[in-house]
Amino acid sequence: MTGGGKRSGAVFPVLAAALLGALALSAATGPVPISPRAAFDAIFRGTDDTPARVLLSLRLPRALLGALVGGALASSGVAFQALLRNPLADPYILGVSGGAAVGALTVALFLSADASPLLPLCAFGGAALSALAVFLLARRRSGVSPERLILMGVVVGAFLNAVIMLMVTLAPPGKIPGALYWLMGDLGQGTPHRVAVLFPYVALGAVLLYLLSRGLDLLLLGDHAAFQAGLSVERVKTATYLTASLLAGSVVAVSGLIGFVGLIVPHGARVLVGSGHRRLLPAAFLLGGAFLVLSDTLARAASPAGELPVGAITALAGAPFFLYLLRRNGRRS
Amino acid sequence: MSSRVRIAAARRLLCGFFPAFVLLASALGSPVSATDRFPLALKDDRGVTVRLAAPPRRVVSLAPSLTEIVFLLGRGGSLVGVTRFCNFPAAASALPKIGGVSDPDVERIVALSPDLVLCTTDGNPRDKVRALEEMGIPCFAVAPQDLGAVFTAIERLGVLLGAADRGRAEAEALRGRARLARPSSRGAEKPDVLFVVSTSPIIAAGEGTFMDELVRLAGGRNAAARFSGRYPRLSVEDLVAARPDVIFVAGMAGVERFPREVTRWKEVPAFRDGSVVTLDGDLVTRPGPRLVTALERVSAALAGWRSSRPKTPAAGAGGKR
Repeated sequence: MTGGGKRSGAVFPVLAAALLGALALSAATGPVPISPRAAFDAIFRGTDDTPARVLLSLRLPRALLGALVGGALASSGVAFQALLRNPLADPYILGVSGGAAVGALTVALFLSADASPLLPLCAFGGAALSALAVFLLARRRSGVSPERLILMGVVVGAFLNAVIMLMVTLAPPGKIPGALYWLMGDLGQGTPHRVAVLFPYVALGAVLLYLLSRGLDLLLLGDHAAFQAGLSVERVKTATYLTASLLAGSVVAVSGLIGFVGLIVPHGARVLVGSGHRRLLPAAFLLGGAFLVLSDTLARAASPAGELPVGAITALAGAPFFLYLLRRNGRRS
Repeated sequence: MSSRVRIAAARRLLCGFFPAFVLLASALGSPVSATDRFPLALKDDRGVTVRLAAPPRRVVSLAPSLTEIVFLLGRGGSLVGVTRFCNFPAAASALPKIGGVSDPDVERIVALSPDLVLCTTDGNPRDKVRALEEMGIPCFAVAPQDLGAVFTAIERLGVLLGAADRGRAEAEALRGRARLARPSSRGAEKPDVLFVVSTSPIIAAGEGTFMDELVRLAGGRNAAARFSGRYPRLSVEDLVAARPDVIFVAGMAGVERFPREVTRWKEVPAFRDGSVVTLDGDLVTRPGPRLVTALERVSAALAGWRSSRPKTPAAGAGGKR
């Protein structure tokens, strides 16, 4: 519970620098050549040529979207892992992903292409509905137990998965590629508008979770101990659940299902700053942002066959990293 | 198992007798042309030799392109089953469906008791075709990889279906149209062309696709050729960097149009000049006779692009990267 107190002093500047570095690398990578000079002029002198417009309305929004999405997924993962007292919890474990997918696929597959502005809205609605359904199904008079939440989440998720498979099977063939890319997780929709829409949700969610951090610390001790420490356990649980779902749902709505960030980044952050949430939450946000921005840069630049879905990169890079962390920690203890 | 063996034995027996009947029929002076010689043995694109005792009367087609070719040969009346994607000519839609290209229903096909199944190695599952062959149904596979091979396939299917003369005539007519559709002058300016099969996300047709061949035949350069893979996915920035002069969209229901946040990139000449052409997706993805129609449309669009250019080749060349 006490992360290395001394060495972690420099952790936050390093993490912030990593995120900034990732953003810069992402902004510098792409098929349209942009010189540092042109980039400087675009940002500080407001030039309006092609490189400037590519930088300002394609690359930077996409990089910022990656940072917001990665940070939000990691924070949400931290909260779910504490709430469920389960190291394998991630933002999608309680049916948020399935609900968002059904909402988004309804728009993408069965409405016209012009309805695409509706997609984030419907995805968010689907996520909110399924998260609420899981919560209400799991609640008893005595409160919400982690076991029941996970069970209900898995059942609702399995049901929604079946709905997704049916929808994809019955969809008109021309619309399937778009839907599949969405399911795999995709930051290609990064526009200044999307970033502006997502920002308040992520900011609100992250701040709320930060305010709950003492409660999250106590929850890890178990309901009974937390109660004895003077915590109104049910209220903290409800607030955490709703906030973490809001974060996950709003992010899924704009970027699709990007896996693994919400699962591994919290563990990586714990290695760096320990498991006190006041430090863990900001560290996870910065690390998650940097990780996703780097993954997306790789997804755009690595393949000669055009773009790869970023969700595939996060899992490809994330799984080995996760194993490395587990083995390293095992050796130390 | 034993019943299958019995069927196979019966088939062998019949195959033994049929040639005699056919020879007898031709000897009696029935109008069989020199090349419509049954029984025939023809090697298909897998290298499998298919033997037919007589012109097939009950044919099942496992791909829309093959259905179109059968109708072109005037043998639409022999089709007893097609896929659910077979919608051209209109008469094909009314025929019994045997499933899709990638999921044909073997049992339904067998129930139609066909004497020939036409299939393709690009899309039909190999094990389903093998299952049909084990039931004793001859399967002829066609897999043309370019326009020339499509014409040859039409001729070969003509021979197979007992319409060899018709096949040769139709193939020759198509070859003539294809020749006419190509730009006349060798020095014609080559526009950069992007052919997309999906607008959001942007998925382009790369090398090794029929769309790539159509663009080249029509005198254009495929702007997606620098990507590897047959169907690369492009980001908006890739599109801006490629600067295509003309964009073709292989339209499928509801996905013809680019979103506004893509078309506002006026750096892309095709968006600036409004040179975005939608073609029926069926025309350009099916290796059948209508590929020539697609070639004519692509050629016409590129000719239109050339004629709208200022007549100073130097300035034209300077405009490019």
